[in-house]
Amino acid sequence: MSKNYRILDLLRRNRSPLENHLIDGLVDGRVSRRDFVRHGSLLGLSLPLLGRIGMAAGLGGMPSLARAGAPGATIRVGSSVPAATIDPVTIADAGGLLVMQQVAEFLCVDGPDLVLKPALAESWKPNDTGTVWTFKLRKGVKFHSGGEMKADDVVASIDRLADPANSSNALSVFNGILQKGASKKVDDYTVEFHLDAPNGNFPYMLSSDNYNAVIIPATYKGDYEKSFDGTGPFKIEKYTAKVGASFVRNEDYWGEKALPERTEFTFFADMQPQILALQGGQIDIINQMPVLAGVALLNDPNVDIISLKSSAHQQLHMRCDDGPLKDARVRRAIALCLDRDKLAAGLMKGRSSLGNDSPFASVYPSTDTSVPQRKQDIAQAKQLMEAAGVGQGFKVTLTTERYLEIPEYAQLIQNWVKEIGVELELNILDQGAYYGDAVFGKSNWLDSVMGITDYGHRGVPNVYLAAPLKSDGTWNAAHFKNKDYDALATSYIAALDLEAQKATAGKIQNLLLEETPVIFGYFYDYLTATAKGVTGVQPTAMSQLFLEKAAKA
Amino acid sequence: MSLSLVTLFLLSTMVFLGGQVLPGNVGRAILGPFADQRAVDALNHSLGVDRPLLTQYWTWISNFVQGDMGTSYIFRSPVAPFVIDALGNSMKLAAVAFVLVVPIGILGGVIAALNLNRPLDRIISLGGLSVTVLPEFVTGIILILIFGVWLRWLPISAAWPKDAGFFTQLYYLILPSLPLFLVLFGYIARMARSGMIEALDSDYTRTAVLKGLPWRTVIWRHVLRNALMPTITVIATQTGYLIGGLVVIETLFRYQGIGSLIFTAARGKDFPMLESGILTIGIVYAVATLIADFLYSVLNPRIRLGSEQ
Repeated sequence: MSKNYRILDLLRRNRSPLENHLIDGLVDGRVSRRDFVRHGSLLGLSLPLLGRIGMAAGLGGMPSLARAGAPGATIRVGSSVPAATIDPVTIADAGGLLVMQQVAEFLCVDGPDLVLKPALAESWKPNDTGTVWTFKLRKGVKFHSGGEMKADDVVASIDRLADPANSSNALSVFNGILQKGASKKVDDYTVEFHLDAPNGNFPYMLSSDNYNAVIIPATYKGDYEKSFDGTGPFKIEKYTAKVGASFVRNEDYWGEKALPERTEFTFFADMQPQILALQGGQIDIINQMPVLAGVALLNDPNVDIISLKSSAHQQLHMRCDDGPLKDARVRRAIALCLDRDKLAAGLMKGRSSLGNDSPFASVYPSTDTSVPQRKQDIAQAKQLMEAAGVGQGFKVTLTTERYLEIPEYAQLIQNWVKEIGVELELNILDQGAYYGDAVFGKSNWLDSVMGITDYGHRGVPNVYLAAPLKSDGTWNAAHFKNKDYDALATSYIAALDLEAQKATAGKIQNLLLEETPVIFGYFYDYLTATAKGVTGVQPTAMSQLFLEKAAKA
Repeated sequence: MSLSLVTLFLLSTMVFLGGQVLPGNVGRAILGPFADQRAVDALNHSLGVDRPLLTQYWTWISNFVQGDMGTSYIFRSPVAPFVIDALGNSMKLAAVAFVLVVPIGILGGVIAALNLNRPLDRIISLGGLSVTVLPEFVTGIILILIFGVWLRWLPISAAWPKDAGFFTQLYYLILPSLPLFLVLFGYIARMARSGMIEALDSDYTRTAVLKGLPWRTVIWRHVLRNALMPTITVIATQTGYLIGGLVVIETLFRYQGIGSLIFTAARGKDFPMLESGILTIGIVYAVATLIADFLYSVLNPRIRLGSEQ
């Protein structure tokens, strides 16, 4: 298709320089269609507008939505047991946030394609420096309890999360970005967020990516399980702690009404009973299925697997300040021992993408794909060990948690590093023992010489770039202190422009390959299993499950 | 009785002290490893777990003796309904398992003893022992696959629908009670068998036979009555296991029993829930032992008469 510059010029009118720069990138071919949609949505351009620009740029229309299924079904979901009381402020576990997300909504939703889509906010825009973001709210949205959702509710919901006195689980997301009192009502349908520092990805922090950031009434005082108030397409019918929950369609929903009449969630303490329940026809969906635990279903003809590429991964940290791994050459040598292709194909059954020892997963549009992929090279690893003066090898302990495929991953690493004379002693602990108090000096995670830690998916790499890798990072288990890195990470986080982000990302990727404080071996896919005939199920890699378009054949 | 109270007090102290050794803290367990330390401190303060240990223990124990089990740290609601529901569920499952395994186990032991060293004895003894050594999560999964997934005769989950009647609940409990049956059958049958062999070989049995009593009367009145005594002790000691030790079965069959309640509480450092759950099991165990002692005295007049003297 040819480019239509007349329409492009029309569409450019009234756009900010930042938005026009992105459109230029698409027209010149510097920015791919996928990256254009994703970054355009971050800047607050609506999806129809992004589609029209794509058409005018000669890239064809947006893919059409899937055909809707039959309404009226009862969809039965198996999920993990909520680990604690369900409270939007404190909630931290997949089982609990799944229940909360059925009734409460976010300002915007980070979809499976990592494109931000408007939800309770219709649009958003940064100022020129990215220090103030303005969100325009949707009108006519009703809480299940009856009142209309307005700016006061948004300000109260976000302020509550940014308040250190509130036991907020989102405090680590807002730390250094958004303070209590920095969310300001402009009018009933406009809210401004005044940030501590420029942030090019801030809308992700108010999206489903920050799973605590649901909008609930300003009057909320706690005890969420009594009301389960929200604006979502489903309303609570019954919730029984440790047992399950059921929801009914919200007939007053602001958007398209949900197809299912009811949804039922059954809580399971383990994966095996969930698999048996799906096979036995007692549930229709397993929300989150780790690849090793769910291997029996991967080739089951009666089951469909929804596989989402994600940025979730296992970080293998190596202490940079002390011990045998202090020398970057030794850390690089260990990283060169990993056979990443075998990891992806064998351990992860083809349900992962390769890691290149930085948080820049292939799902991120800002990842610089021209940076060479690190591959297994034992000869080079041996040379590095010799150069570092440890050619004869050494003994070191790898401490980690008993979670997902981590123990098996640790064993594979143990075998691979034998080839360069490194003898790994594995210390695999219960999760509670591994994380301990999760502060330096009181945590096996943060104090170990070498360890593997599970990190869940994030729509943007900001969190991974800061807490585990910056010199003052609270999760910096590698004790990595590098001023150049700190400056690059700050610059990346502040950048509003995709090309600027990409340029900084490339520098960070190269620096981390050189220093290798953390090995990122692979990024695992997020798997959801559905019984054959169940359609319209939309999971996200944040353990959320959108069921409003779900149907049964 | 007083000995039981001392035991329960020591149990509560041991659980409390043991709980302190577990790594991490309640706020951290609830908010997760990646939560901001300020949030963790605020939560610990609001839950009162930053108070001195003795104060926390004293508050809990003084309320417990007045019938208040306290408030769960994790669920932020009273502990008592959780424990009572879970105990009720565990007792229902234990009851179904007992009703299945006790008569069949004893019958198996009696038949084996009466057919000593014959093929039937070998089948019962070796068969029972073989299924006993199989872990219940193995037999559980096999049974679920056969009856739940392939034949679809029985529900996979033991959690019955709300407002279910007696027979529906029973229907849902059949599958989870079968692995328990398999675990306990061999044990009870072996105890009953050895008791029977001993009783059959005793002087009073010989006297009863020589007296000319019918064989059925000898077995029923003299042999079985004496043979059952060690079996009753075994059954009583299994009560603790059946009420509180079924974490694996409860997890596999998604059953809300007290075993998994305690397990979750221990992992989350939910002290009021953990203490109340364990003490409740302790009380049940003590009561079961008392009932066993009573039955023992009913079956064995020597004990009854001895205590009267």
